[in-house]
Amino acid sequence: MLSIAVSIAFALVSGALLLSLFRLLRGPDKPDRILALDTLYINTIALLVLLGIHLSSSLYFEAALLIAMMGFVGTVALCKYLLRGDIIE
Amino acid sequence: MNLFFVVLIPFLGAGLAAWVSRFGRLQSAWMAGGVTLVALIALTPSLPAPFLGETLVQRIPWIPALGLDLVLRLDGLGLLFALMVLGMGLLVILYARYYLAERDCMGRFYGYLLLFMGSMLGIVLSENLILLLMFWELTSLSSFLLISYWQHREDARTGARMALAVTGLGGLAMLGGFVLLGEMVGSYDLSVVLANGELIRSDPLYTPMLVLILLGAFTKSAQFPFHFWLPHAMAAPTPVSAYLHSATLVKAGVFLLARLFPVLSGTSQWSILVIGAGLATLLIGAYFALFKHDIKGLLAYSTISHLGLITLLFGIGTPLAAVAGVFHIINHATFKASLFMAAGIIDHECGTRDMRRINGLWRYMPYTGTLAMVAAAAMAGVPLFNGFLSKEMFFGETVTFSANHTWDWLLPAAVVVAGIFAVAYSLRFIHDVFFNGDPIDLPKTPHEPPRWMKVPVEILVAICLLVGILPAFTVAPLLYVAATGVLQTAPPDYDLAIWHGVNAALIMSVIALIGGILIYAGRRPLFNLATKLEGLLDARAVFDGLLKGLLALAGAVTRILDTGSLQRMLLVFILSALTLGTVGFLGGGAPLTGDRDLLPADAVSLLVTIALIIVALWTVVLHRRRLTALIVMGALGLLVSLIFVKFSAPDLALTQLSVEVVTIVLLLLALYFLPQYSPAESSWPRRVRDIGVACLAGGGAAALTWSVLTRPYESIADYFLENSVPGGGGANVVNVILVDFRGFDTLGEISVLALAGLGIYAMLKDLRLPGPTCDARGRPWNWDMHPVIMAALTRLLLPLALLVSAFIFLRGHNLPGGGFIAGLITAIALIMQYLANGVEWTHVRMTSNLHPVIGAGLLIGLLTGLASLVFGYPFLTSAFTHVHWPVIGDFELASAIAFDLGVYLVVVGATLLILVHLGLMHHASHPGEQEPNHA
Amino acid sequence: MLEMLLSVLIVVGALFTFIGSLGLARLGDFYTRLHGPTKATTLGVGALLIASVLYFSTRGEGLSLHEILVTLFLFITAPVSAHLLAKAALHLRVRSIAPPPPEAEDPLADTRVRAGD
Repeated sequence: MLSIAVSIAFALVSGALLLSLFRLLRGPDKPDRILALDTLYINTIALLVLLGIHLSSSLYFEAALLIAMMGFVGTVALCKYLLRGDIIE
Repeated sequence: MNLFFVVLIPFLGAGLAAWVSRFGRLQSAWMAGGVTLVALIALTPSLPAPFLGETLVQRIPWIPALGLDLVLRLDGLGLLFALMVLGMGLLVILYARYYLAERDCMGRFYGYLLLFMGSMLGIVLSENLILLLMFWELTSLSSFLLISYWQHREDARTGARMALAVTGLGGLAMLGGFVLLGEMVGSYDLSVVLANGELIRSDPLYTPMLVLILLGAFTKSAQFPFHFWLPHAMAAPTPVSAYLHSATLVKAGVFLLARLFPVLSGTSQWSILVIGAGLATLLIGAYFALFKHDIKGLLAYSTISHLGLITLLFGIGTPLAAVAGVFHIINHATFKASLFMAAGIIDHECGTRDMRRINGLWRYMPYTGTLAMVAAAAMAGVPLFNGFLSKEMFFGETVTFSANHTWDWLLPAAVVVAGIFAVAYSLRFIHDVFFNGDPIDLPKTPHEPPRWMKVPVEILVAICLLVGILPAFTVAPLLYVAATGVLQTAPPDYDLAIWHGVNAALIMSVIALIGGILIYAGRRPLFNLATKLEGLLDARAVFDGLLKGLLALAGAVTRILDTGSLQRMLLVFILSALTLGTVGFLGGGAPLTGDRDLLPADAVSLLVTIALIIVALWTVVLHRRRLTALIVMGALGLLVSLIFVKFSAPDLALTQLSVEVVTIVLLLLALYFLPQYSPAESSWPRRVRDIGVACLAGGGAAALTWSVLTRPYESIADYFLENSVPGGGGANVVNVILVDFRGFDTLGEISVLALAGLGIYAMLKDLRLPGPTCDARGRPWNWDMHPVIMAALTRLLLPLALLVSAFIFLRGHNLPGGGFIAGLITAIALIMQYLANGVEWTHVRMTSNLHPVIGAGLLIGLLTGLASLVFGYPFLTSAFTHVHWPVIGDFELASAIAFDLGVYLVVVGATLLILVHLGLMHHASHPGEQEPNHA
Repeated sequence: MLEMLLSVLIVVGALFTFIGSLGLARLGDFYTRLHGPTKATTLGVGALLIASVLYFSTRGEGLSLHEILVTLFLFITAPVSAHLLAKAALHLRVRSIAPPPPEAEDPLADTRVRAGD
């Protein structure tokens, strides 16, 4: 039952990934794209967690951890750029 | 090991002499003299060996795999030259202390001089040919510094450059010759080379090897047609000329002829080349010396002429001629150095070196005049002076040589002509300067120089006289061992007496003396003739022409290749790479697809790959809107790291993720100062062309990847995989490679990173750029610098992020992670604080001085490496052990973790340094917003 | 029983992740789109992470805590990202379906009063 659930989840998360990607490429405004990028990062975390359960391997957590952290820094930096232009001041 | 000290001491002393000059002008003179004395003392324990017929060889292994050791030898020849270099060095140091003017920097002068002295000692004491060549090049470089000592003078710079170009080219040729020579005998050690004369002379490559080595020797010793650099080197201060052109630099060339004399001489190629060059140089030098109005110019050409004489003697190739050559090396060094010093005194006292104006100095400086007269008589070859003895031997050798050849009268006749000119220019040096009427319009009133300035000249002149009158009691033993060193056997019998009875040599000497006096007496018409002929034989014009041609050629090639268009450069680059790759691949006849089975593709990987392709294309479409392109590119990096994760490269994925964010921050910092949109600059046809080229390049890379991935993979990777745990004590092969197997590379890489960080810091340190005050659409920036929610919550994240970093660092040796990634994570965690809370807030709480962090990182890396040396293992050998900690369990402790800590610190320091200073560039452009935000 | 719970958590988590992205893709303007990822996706990933904790902790290798760290990160950062994004959108006057309330005009922008900061 678990493997069926994981398969369904893979399909759903992949779909989420594609939808976020669509928004990223479509825009239309910069905040839209940044939001899409942020969502993409989070979708990727979901994907990695699923992969970990699927393969019974805990090797993917570091990547998930880093993605959580890096996605945030990227979003903050980009938003700050839109707001202030100058990100380290 | 004392020979190593002899060579090393002047190099160390060079720094010392330059350093002590800050305590007073004369300190460096004392220091230089002291250093030279110490080197002499270091040499003394070895002095007896050559006299006992031994050759000392001292060896320190250096790169044994290449047959390259630090190995020095001392035999008679080396001893003679070492004594000349050091002894003459002492005299020149004393002389220069009085010669240099108040405004000349003493420390620099003596520093260069000692540098040169060390290089010269290295040449004469080298046992290994490659080592000799290194010192040879060092003399070229240090003499360049010495000749251009007066950097403000154009002639000094030109002269130094010319000397460097000519001797440098010669050194390059000599390297080729040495490699050929070494390959012939299978060793670069002189002892082996010298013992294999027969083998070398019968080698088919003997002639090219000889030509290459002679090119080196001839350029250094200013032999025709490379003689022209020497007169231009006269722009150097006179002590430099006295040193370089009497006993040292130019003698290096004839030293090499003497050194390799036993193996190279005795063939017709040797005779033709060496006699030809020597004779031409002898004649040309003697002729031009007579017609130079500049005192130092006269001495320069006479030096060329005497070097030709010595070369000619070695070219004759008989053992006795070699003895005469060595003897003349000694004699020329003494009288030429004293003459240069006398010329320096005259220049110093008169303010000019033009012999048409300097006349009748006898009245003002009779003492200097007497000294100069003795030295000039030695140069002319007058009996009772040392030059006479070697010149007699020289004349005698040419007669003996000619007896066995057709055209037997030609060589003696030619050398007599040169002898006549030598007498004439020596006479001119004395008569024109000290007699011949009154001085004309001198800038200064001449008088005798300070007492101690004359001492070196007196010593040298005394040697000229003593050797000339009592050769058997003075120079004989030294000459004997030096000749033994040259011939590598006992020299034949020779007699150093002044009077040998009436023979051909004596008659030639007499002809030369009388002819010289006659020529000088009838000089006026000759001078007029020479003035008319001037410019016909100007080697400098040829050199300049060649140089100009070379520059023009280089310029033309550059203009063709580099039009300043990046597209064009890329086009050339990509198309050549494609052509080479395609031709190479088609030429090999291998199929594009290898025989490895393909793996099945799963749905998620396929999806991510397709997404990757779409996003990449979209980035290209959006590239003119820079910020948008940057956002989309962020997704690109994320997808790439997903693929890394999928295909079992977690370390790469972690690195890619961290680098991605650092890149975004870096580009945003730069984008602030840049246009927000890239204008379209290319026309449509060009864009179509560029698209085509890009597709070709991408297609090429894809084809390459395809053909690599479809082939069975065998590489060094298996070795690493097998040895990672037993050899490096870590299960994470990537990390073990970085900190252990390839630790030395990593050390180099973090040094480069540290340098890059410091370099960027140096460039940005005082740079203040005004940033735009509104965005691209003209909207002013938001007033809220650090929104509260962001500021507060980000602070909360810092300990979490540091925890992640520590975790990644500590487990790095066995599981994905390591110092580099951990360093990036820490840097990003700290950058996050700068982003959310601002520079000031952060700097209050954390040091803003990152240099110590970088320095500590490098130091830790280096010390870890050195620690293994202490325990007798090669540099950077990793040690590891398993420790059982209560609660936590088995823990592995590897010394590599200390090295990784070094990597970590450098990465943190350099990344932060670069990003923060990029951010600080605009600091001044927000004058009203500098107060800390009271959040 | 555990497998049941895990399966439910996984499917629910994935579903919410999908719904979040669906909202991001389908809704009419930026401000409505912001709701999807910040609420639904965070919840979805949270559920997935809980599933992961359960899965790895019940395999006899001790408690798995990495996921907690990831969850902590996500729950701290999600509001910050959302807040900043909304701020940026308002600052850029991104088009909205609803007429903007007068306050959204950012009355402080010109006067630069920092007292309330």
